[in-house]
Amino acid sequence: MHTVLLRKLLEALLTLFFATLIIFALIRLAPGDPVRLMLGHPGEIAAQGTSAYDEKVAELRAELGLDRNIAVQYVTWLGRLAQGDLGTSIFTGKQVGSEIAARLPATVTLSLSALLVQIALGLIFGMVAALRSGKLADQLIRVACVALASTPAFVVGLVALALFAVKYGVYEISSDFSAARLWLPALTLGVLGAPQLVRIMRANLLTEFGKIYVSSAQSRGLDRKRVVRHAARNALIPLVTMVALSFAGLIGGAVVIESIFSWPGIGKYALDSILVKDYPVIQGYALVAVLMVVLIHFLVDVVYSALDPRIHHKGEAGREEKA
Amino acid sequence: MKRRLNSKNPASLIIGLVVLAILAIAILGAPLLAPYDPVAQNAAERLEKPSEKHWLGTDRFGRDILSRTLHGGQTTLLSSLLALCAALAIGLLVGMAAGMFHGSALDHILMRIIDVLLAFPFMVFAMVIAGLFGTGLVHLLLAVVSVWWVSFARLTRSVVLHAKNETSYAAAKVLGASNLAIMRKELLPKAISPVLILATFELGTLILSIAALSFLGLGAQPPAPEWGSMLADGRAHFFQAPHILIGPAAFIVATVLAFNLIGEGLRDRLDPYEKLEL
Repeated sequence: MHTVLLRKLLEALLTLFFATLIIFALIRLAPGDPVRLMLGHPGEIAAQGTSAYDEKVAELRAELGLDRNIAVQYVTWLGRLAQGDLGTSIFTGKQVGSEIAARLPATVTLSLSALLVQIALGLIFGMVAALRSGKLADQLIRVACVALASTPAFVVGLVALALFAVKYGVYEISSDFSAARLWLPALTLGVLGAPQLVRIMRANLLTEFGKIYVSSAQSRGLDRKRVVRHAARNALIPLVTMVALSFAGLIGGAVVIESIFSWPGIGKYALDSILVKDYPVIQGYALVAVLMVVLIHFLVDVVYSALDPRIHHKGEAGREEKA
Repeated sequence: MKRRLNSKNPASLIIGLVVLAILAIAILGAPLLAPYDPVAQNAAERLEKPSEKHWLGTDRFGRDILSRTLHGGQTTLLSSLLALCAALAIGLLVGMAAGMFHGSALDHILMRIIDVLLAFPFMVFAMVIAGLFGTGLVHLLLAVVSVWWVSFARLTRSVVLHAKNETSYAAAKVLGASNLAIMRKELLPKAISPVLILATFELGTLILSIAALSFLGLGAQPPAPEWGSMLADGRAHFFQAPHILIGPAAFIVATVLAFNLIGEGLRDRLDPYEKLEL
C-alpha cells in the first residue's frame, strides 16, 4: 500500500513540476519583455522612455535575474515559489501570495457549500430516477438534467440575482464575504453541477440493481428498503472520485458565479487582474489552482486505497480500468 | 436491460437533429433571413423591448438583436467547430500512438503530458492565456485546442487498448501488417465512432465554456456581431434591459441542447461507448 501511495505522491510532484514548466514557458512566450510587462503594459505607462523608466527596467531585470540564462532563471523562480513567494502585484504592489491566501477562504467556502448542494441533489434525484427508472419521474428528472446542463452558468446566476436581489429583495448586493451572502451563489453553483452527479448516481444504482446479490436478496424475500440501502452503499464508492473531481472543477469554475455575485474569491481576483494585465497575479492564480487540483487528485487516490483494498495490489491495472 | 430503459432515446436524437437543422438553416441563411443589417445603428430605437418590429428587441445602439444573433452565430459556431476539429485530430493521433505503443516510453511521456493538462482546469488555462497574451476570440480558441484534445486522446487510447485484445488485431500482426497500416485500417475505424460521440457532447460544453469566458469579457470584443461579445455587452445592461442577453443566450441554450440530445441519442446506439465511458 505504501509503495502505491509513494508512487502517487511522486506522480503528483512530477505533475506539479511540469505545470510550473508550462506556466514559466507561457510567461516567457507572452509577447513583450517580461520586465516591461511587469512594470505595466507598454503604452499605458506615461513614464516610458524616460531615463527613470530605463533605470527601473535594468534594476528589475537584475533583481529578477532575467539577465542570466533561462535554466538559471527557471530554477531561481522555482526556488522562490517553493518558499511561497509568488511575487508582488503590479497594480497594488502587495504580495500576491498573501492576497490569494486572503481570498482563498471565500472560494473554498463557496465551493464546499456548492458541493454539498450538488451531493444532496445528486443523491436524492439520482436515487429517485433509478428507483422509478423508465417511469414519469425518471423522464422528468432526465429532461431537467439535460436542460440544466445546456444552460450557461451566467444565465442561471443572473436570473437568480434578478429574482432574489432585485425582485424580492431578499439578497444583499455587495462584495462582502459573509455567511448571509453565501446561500444564493452556493445554491446556484450547486444546482448547476447537480445533473452530472444525478446521472452517475442513477447509472451506478441501476448497475448495482442488476447484480446477482440484489436479485438473490430479493428472491429470498428481503425487505426492499434494505436491499436498496445495500445497493446504494456500493453505488456510492465510485462517486467519491466524481465528487472530488467536481470539487476541483469548482475551484477553477466558480469564476463566473464569483463574478456575478461579486463573491470576493480568488477567481474574481484573477479576473480583475486580467483586465488590468496584472501578470504576477495571473501566474500566482494559475499556480494555486493547479496546486489545489493536484492535491485533490492525490487525496482521492489516498481515500480510494483506504476504501478499496483491491487497489493496493492492482495499482496500474486498476488505473487502466478507470481510464 | 439498459437498452429497454433508454427506449425513449430515438426521440432525443430526432429532436436534437431537428433543432440543429433549424438552427443551421437560420444561422447559415442569416444574410437572407435576418430582418435588419446586423451592424446598422439606430439611435431612435435604443434598448427597445422585443416587439413585432424587433422580435428580440434592440441593443444600446439600436441594432436589431435577432439579426445580430443570426449573423453572430456563424462566427461562434464555425470557430467552435474548427477548434473542436483541431482538438479531435490531435487527440486521435496522440491517443492512437499511446495505445499502439502501450507501455513504451512514448506512451509514458504522452500520458504524463495528459496528466499535467488535466491538472489545469480549462477556465484557469483560458484565463492565463487571456491574461498573458490578451483577450480575444483567437486566443480563446487556442486555449481550447491546447487543453481540449486530452479527453479525445484518453478515449482513443482506451479504445485502442481494447481493440488490441481482439483477434483481428492479432491476425493483422501475424500477417505482418505495418504499425501504420494497423493504426489506419484496424484501430482508427474502431476509435472514430466513440470519439465522434464524445465530440458531440464536448461541442456543447465547449460552446458553453466559450460563452462563459466571453461573458467575463475574455472572448471576442465588441462591436463584432458574435454571441460572446453580445453576451459581454448584454451583461453591462442586464438589469436595465435583460433582453439583450436573453437573445443570444436562448440561441446558445438551443444549440447546446441540440448537441446534448444528439449525443445522448447516439451514445445509446453504440454499444462500445457504454463500456468505455469516460
